[in-house]
Amino acid sequence: MKDTQHPGRRPPANTIVADDGDDLRFCSTCAFGSVCLPAGVDKTALRELHMLVEHAGPYRAGEHVFRSGEPFAAIFAVRGGVVKTRQLDDDGREQVLGFHLPGEMIGLNAIHAEKYPCDAIALDTVFVCRFSFPALATLATKMPGVQQQLFRLLSADIGKASLLAGDYSADERLAAFLLLLADRFAARGFSAKAFRLEMSRGDIANYLRLAAETVSRVLRRLQDQKLIHVEGRDVELLDRASLQDLARNILHQ
Amino acid sequence: MSQHRRMKTALPHSSAQFDPALIARYDVAGPRYTSYPAAPQFHGRFGEADLRAAIRASNGDPIPRRLSVYVHVPFCLSPCFYCGCTRVITRDVSKADVYLDRLYREIELIAPQFDRDRTLAQLHFGGGTPNFLDERRMADLLDSLATNFSFDRSPQREFGIEIDPRQCDPDYVRMLARHGFNRISVGIQDFDPDVQKAVNRIQSVEQTRAVLDTARECGFRSTSVDLIYGLPKQTTLQFARTLDQVIALAPDRVACYAYAHLPERFKAQRQIVAADLPDAPTRLKLLGLSVEKLTAAGYRYIGMDHFARPGDDLAQAQDAGTLQRNFQGYSTHGDCDLIGLGMSSISHVGSTFSQNARDLPTYYAALDAGRLPVVRGLTLDDDDLIRADAIQQLMCHGVLDIASFERRHQLDFNEYFAAELARLRDIECDGLIEVGADRLHVTSRGRFLLRIIAMCFDAHLARSEAAGTRYSKAL
Repeated sequence: MKDTQHPGRRPPANTIVADDGDDLRFCSTCAFGSVCLPAGVDKTALRELHMLVEHAGPYRAGEHVFRSGEPFAAIFAVRGGVVKTRQLDDDGREQVLGFHLPGEMIGLNAIHAEKYPCDAIALDTVFVCRFSFPALATLATKMPGVQQQLFRLLSADIGKASLLAGDYSADERLAAFLLLLADRFAARGFSAKAFRLEMSRGDIANYLRLAAETVSRVLRRLQDQKLIHVEGRDVELLDRASLQDLARNILHQ
Repeated sequence: MSQHRRMKTALPHSSAQFDPALIARYDVAGPRYTSYPAAPQFHGRFGEADLRAAIRASNGDPIPRRLSVYVHVPFCLSPCFYCGCTRVITRDVSKADVYLDRLYREIELIAPQFDRDRTLAQLHFGGGTPNFLDERRMADLLDSLATNFSFDRSPQREFGIEIDPRQCDPDYVRMLARHGFNRISVGIQDFDPDVQKAVNRIQSVEQTRAVLDTARECGFRSTSVDLIYGLPKQTTLQFARTLDQVIALAPDRVACYAYAHLPERFKAQRQIVAADLPDAPTRLKLLGLSVEKLTAAGYRYIGMDHFARPGDDLAQAQDAGTLQRNFQGYSTHGDCDLIGLGMSSISHVGSTFSQNARDLPTYYAALDAGRLPVVRGLTLDDDDLIRADAIQQLMCHGVLDIASFERRHQLDFNEYFAAELARLRDIECDGLIEVGADRLHVTSRGRFLLRIIAMCFDAHLARSEAAGTRYSKAL
């Protein structure tokens, strides 16, 4: 966050760092937030849960939150910024696994192997909450809410991976990508209509298994058709219905 | 600007657009805003690594901008005394080879950093004298560019060159057309023999006509000429004749620049006898005359020093709201990343400006060591980007729509620009601009004083004046 704010300047749409949590509440955008929702949660247990949350960051663009192969010690909730997860194959070729927005969790896929199977890299200035996993697991045995939330997050993480596999056209993939991103921003209270793509077109292309030129060609076409407006890294969805129509095969699978 | 404050009077819109008294009062020094922040703000802490990072980031945009390349050819056969450009005087064409060698290296170093699907939509050769290069050298240079960049093959591409007609025959123009040039800009300055002698540039109307006519025959999309007012020995009577001769040549665009006499900065200008320079009232009359004659002949005043026929791309871009201001004045291709090649050239990639070494030894040394010859530049911060947009809107379109500006930059306009609006209200009293609740609108009189309006938004100006930067006068 900029420490000097010019008078009259509004904070940019989706670059707010969530910081409204306290001893008894998670930040409003956090994926872990719903743990607190069930009535009658034991306040001591809840405080205990919050005790094991550590704020980390800022990570500058390009810095690692964790590295592939490192022993698994914690899961992370993104508090501000966007994190890319990726794997490198033996030839050093990158495969982008996903982009993680404020409120979303990373590191869940390390639970099984007990080491991180991928790199997590900040795409812009990133702040995270670190949940020590051993402590979290112990707590989960005492707090059913925590356990349920962990299961929910795990299954959502597995579902996400299969979303863009399959034999879909570039147009379908990009329309779905933009809509899903918009929904994820909206779920955290950000605008579903206008957002900033912190990831490069190379990363988007890699993630969608397309060529970088194809990403730009399709986006330009969508722009010419007045479905979207792109200015630098900022994207505005102008015609959601048409985008949904384009992406229907992916979204309704 | 309080010394300019007058009684607030309602100014009828039908009043003469050109108001000499008003313009004379605003004859103060200021940047020409071919960039914001202006070039004196560039600093040496910006270097090659910053430019490379800016290029990488620009490749990552969802729809990367297309490319505009400027090539500086710094050689001239003889010195025009008014010139403030970075150039080398020589009659030896082979001198160019040493330079071209380094230019090729620069092309080979920088071009591969841009993703290959980013087409080169605009190419501009400036100088110096680009037609100092003979056909073979010009062809080789274009080959190198075509090999290393992806040329846009559509007719919308804009390939332009500045020409000195004193050393350009019709064959040369035909050669340029064959190599894909479709825009030509011809230096005239003044056709009057006394003025031409005083500035060491003897050039006939016939030579000039031959170049322009051939260009039109060859299908060039746009022809342009440059004039300068405020040169030694210029009188209104004789400049009127030059303007008539220019109008008879029927170029699509006319640029009429103010001569800035800064002999302490530009050595060539020391050849000019200060006593021969027209006084301030005469300069004003020369400008007034240009506006009057060119608009009467059907040219539209685009802004600053530029006029264009209504059918020309520049006027069309202004109508469409796509006109941009850049280092070549006004441009229809402002949505490109600009790569400046050659000694002293300026690049504008993403939100950075950068400039190459301004002398040959430094330029050569960098390239011989395999480095890009960047010596200074800057990265625009959020505030710079906001102000650059405001200045762009006002200089290109004469209008700033407050609601869309607030949406674009996520700000409260009245709060953000409280101090600037107070300054604008001063010049509003003089009828240069209307400050409305929903928009700022430059009046027809304000069009002649765009620099003054832009200066209200310039956050660097006060600081650079304190540091002793000298700008040319607005007029």
